[in-house]
Amino acid sequence: MKKNGVNMIKISAKNVDVFYGKKQALFNINLEIEENQVTALIGPSGCGKSTFLRCLNRMNDVIDICKVQGEIVINDFNINDKGCDVVRLREKIGMVFQKPNPFPKTLYENISYGPTIHGMAQSKQEMDEIVETSLKKAALWEEVKDRLHEPGTGLSGGQQQRLCIARAISVQPEVILMDEPCSALDPIATAQIEELIDELKKEHTIIIVTHSMAQAARVSQNTGFFHLGELIEHGSTDKIFKNPENNKTQDYITGRFG
Amino acid sequence: MSEATHTVKSYEEELQSLNKNIIKMGVSCEEALGKAIIAITTRDSENAETVIKNDEKIDKFETTIEQQVVNLIALRQPMAIDLRETVTALKISSDLERIGDLAKNISKRTLLLNENLPKNLVDALVRVSTNVQKQLKSVLDAYLDRSSSMATNVWENDEQIDELTNLCMQEVIKYLKEHESNLDDGTHLLFVTKNIERIGDHTTNIAEQIYYLVEGEYLEGDRPKGTEPIVTGEK
Ligand SMILES: Nc1ncnc2c1ncn2[C@@H]1O[C@H](COP(=O)(O)OP(=O)(O)OP(=O)(O)O)[C@@H](O)[C@H]1O
Ligand SMILES: [Mg+2]
Repeated sequence: MKKNGVNMIKISAKNVDVFYGKKQALFNINLEIEENQVTALIGPSGCGKSTFLRCLNRMNDVIDICKVQGEIVINDFNINDKGCDVVRLREKIGMVFQKPNPFPKTLYENISYGPTIHGMAQSKQEMDEIVETSLKKAALWEEVKDRLHEPGTGLSGGQQQRLCIARAISVQPEVILMDEPCSALDPIATAQIEELIDELKKEHTIIIVTHSMAQAARVSQNTGFFHLGELIEHGSTDKIFKNPENNKTQDYITGRFG
Repeated sequence: MSEATHTVKSYEEELQSLNKNIIKMGVSCEEALGKAIIAITTRDSENAETVIKNDEKIDKFETTIEQQVVNLIALRQPMAIDLRETVTALKISSDLERIGDLAKNISKRTLLLNENLPKNLVDALVRVSTNVQKQLKSVLDAYLDRSSSMATNVWENDEQIDELTNLCMQEVIKYLKEHESNLDDGTHLLFVTKNIERIGDHTTNIAEQIYYLVEGEYLEGDRPKGTEPIVTGEK
């Protein structure tokens, strides 16, 4: 949504530090994510992109040694507060991973799982509708509408990834986190996912981690560059790829990193 | 270019080679303009013929650079400073190619002149062309040093060239009036003057490109304009 031509801030990370045991993985991250935009997170392997992404839906909670400090404010609410309902949070903040990970169940069940847990459908008919619209939004419906009751694992890699996206959007999340969603896909499947991302940003705020500079440039409006646990630079994708402020950013995106 | 070098050496080499070709092409244009001016002011057809012959070399540089740019974009997908290097190289080479053409055109007309030129006309031509030559040299230095301030200076000086061109045009018009029987020479001289001015304009284009290359932003504001040209034509 826009206010006075400026995009609203959906998520703001304030002074976020993350530790795995004694080892600090993120250092004082301050980052604002605009609503209904795609934000790409880039940076060398191990710089903390996935760690940061997991902060946004408290997925780090499941890692015993992981400790998160600082505030993550979503819709004016600090999700690191004790009172945060993590199940509700993950309904609002969906996630898609690097490797497509459909449940070992039918296509239909893959999608209906979330809405069932969150009690989103009152009848079989309502559930059918959710499954259909989710698959349509993920641009998978036409390919699978006749095999909804076959196992999701029987799809191609690109189809599985779109199934996972359909599963993520079935609960109507406000934010979708994607961690290298195309790294296992061919250029055509990648293009389909990218087209999808562009479509999804109308209704969702999207944050995508990617190792492909070209992909970051293609799909995102904003880009953040991480290096050794720090956010080095954040700004419009246009600016980052044409004229970055920081030399480290420039060296990374132009392939000059030692 | 950035201090650090690319992890992929061949990519680094390709960018360096592009850079070198621009400089070589620029130097060839400088030479062509220098010789063209000597040729017209001293009625020296040998230099004029050299300029005409060498233009092929300049055209070849443009083709080479264009191919290098297309390859870089297709195979390396340059980003940030590399992207600006690549795109500006393409634009600069096309301005240089035009400068080469204009120098050649001056030389062709030189060969067609029938009479010696009066001294005050030669003086006016030398004044404007000396200035343009200086500009061209400075703009190549600005490219070599990646200096946006040098590029800005070149850009600002364009105004002076426009004024000197107008003074030169006045001399040509005077010449035309005094030599009504020799319309051919007068017409050639009009074009020669205009060509010199246009070389100045292309030099200013290059200055704008260098500014963008270095700063990542476009030079702000309108191009400095001198007095309106007396003889209208394309600008
Ligand atoms: N579960 C974990 N236990 C301990 N250390 C971890 C754990 N997960 C990540 N780390 C460490 O935290 C740092 C950041 O890791 P993270 O996975 O966030 O990086 P990344 O930027 O996503 O890298 P990649 O691009 O390779 O996926 C690394 O040093 C990593 O070794
Ligand atoms: Mg990761």
